Amino acid sequence: EAASLTCSGGAGGLAQWVLVELQGEVEPRQSGGLAGSLLGDLHYTREGVPVLIVGHHILYGKVVQLEKPFAVLVKRGAGEPGPEPGPTGPHAHYTVTALIKTKLLFKTRPKPIITNVPKKV
Amino acid sequence: SLVIRGEKDEQAVLCSKDKTYDMKIADTSNMLLFIPGCKTPEQLNADQASCNIIHSQIAGFANNYWELRRCRPKLKKLRKLLMEDPYEGPDSRKDQTLTFSKYTTEDLLNLIQASEEEILHQLRVIDACKIEGRYWRILEFDYEMKLLNHVTQLIDSESWSLSKVPLRTCLEELGSLEPTEMIEHILVSYGRKHIDDAGEVYFEMHEDKICRAIAQMLLQNAVKFNLSEFQEVWQQSVPEGMTTRLDQLKGLALVDKSSRPETIFLLKVDDLPEDNQERFNSLFSIREKWTEVDITPYIQDLCAEKQTVGALLTKYARSSMQNGVKVYNSRRPIS
Repeated sequence: EAASLTCSGGAGGLAQWVLVELQGEVEPRQSGGLAGSLLGDLHYTREGVPVLIVGHHILYGKVVQLEKPFAVLVKRGAGEPGPEPGPTGPHAHYTVTALIKTKLLFKTRPKPIITNVPKKV
Repeated sequence: SLVIRGEKDEQAVLCSKDKTYDMKIADTSNMLLFIPGCKTPEQLNADQASCNIIHSQIAGFANNYWELRRCRPKLKKLRKLLMEDPYEGPDSRKDQTLTFSKYTTEDLLNLIQASEEEILHQLRVIDACKIEGRYWRILEFDYEMKLLNHVTQLIDSESWSLSKVPLRTCLEELGSLEPTEMIEHILVSYGRKHIDDAGEVYFEMHEDKICRAIAQMLLQNAVKFNLSEFQEVWQQSVPEGMTTRLDQLKGLALVDKSSRPETIFLLKVDDLPEDNQERFNSLFSIREKWTEVDITPYIQDLCAEKQTVGALLTKYARSSMQNGVKVYNSRRPIS
């Protein structure tokens, strides 16, 4: 059995995506899954440090050039029913959709943003 | 493009046109989010105009990914498949219609965990040929020796130089005995093709390869041989003008210097396991202690791209001194 991968880049080559790496898990505020929800805001400081604000937490990260870039694969055409007699070629097909050469790594502990500091009486 | 290859009972590999990679799933406890079009600080700095909010969608997330590591192509299966039905010549009484063990290049690409170029290269190395146009076949050894013998006898009777064997005359003289494609195939397998100034094809015969094949023919008939008797018979069996040497038999036969008298037996590296640990286990069960010189031909093919035999020995064997010579034995007890 073989599955093949091809590049689907249009004119000018493959799309370049960015990876954001977070420690731990991201949970939706309400139940119902992550799809369609807002994760947060991404900023960069003047020095190019990425800053992510998620809910009421702030995370500081760094830009990392990946030593081994990633290729993003999308699977197509799988699940054809029944085995074919003898080898006849690829059934599943993976398309290389994008390359990832950079990641934003957030590994410091998220700090809660406190906007209302009680004043000393 | 790239292809993932493997049958259900095999570990998947990914192949480019000429390289093979092991695939492993790597888990991470971190969460990986992919963001198309997300800009890095450099890209934003370069694009001074946009200080607005850019709405980006997270395309997806994962906590595992596939990791690739370049590996040796898994080619042992290639020989195994082609040995299911070796070609015994046109006079063979085997019923050709009953066998389904015939493989085209396309079939091999689907079954062998290696890149196309690695497969095609290995087909040349094992002297496979296409018979009836589409199917790759290996010659059955006795038939191969029969063909070789026709050629060496002709070289002898025509008193040709071993480095100038003309194709045309071979085909003319031997064409009545064997198919012409087979005669040409044996010349290609055991010689190097040249074209002279007149445009005539001739072959420079590989002395070492011919001697080696004749040794195999002699050795396969018994468990082991008295070394000096074997060397005598062997020299007498090779074509006039060729000289036999024990180093022609690397990876084919092993000399036992500890027996009295010294003996030699057939041990083909092709018959040994492909996996590193299994190969070493197999070698150590054949012989407890090996010198580096003796074991090298039997582990050379295991070396990865920049790996040395020494590195392999350090990893899979333990060394000690025996009679002033460094020897290697197994790291673990072999049952």
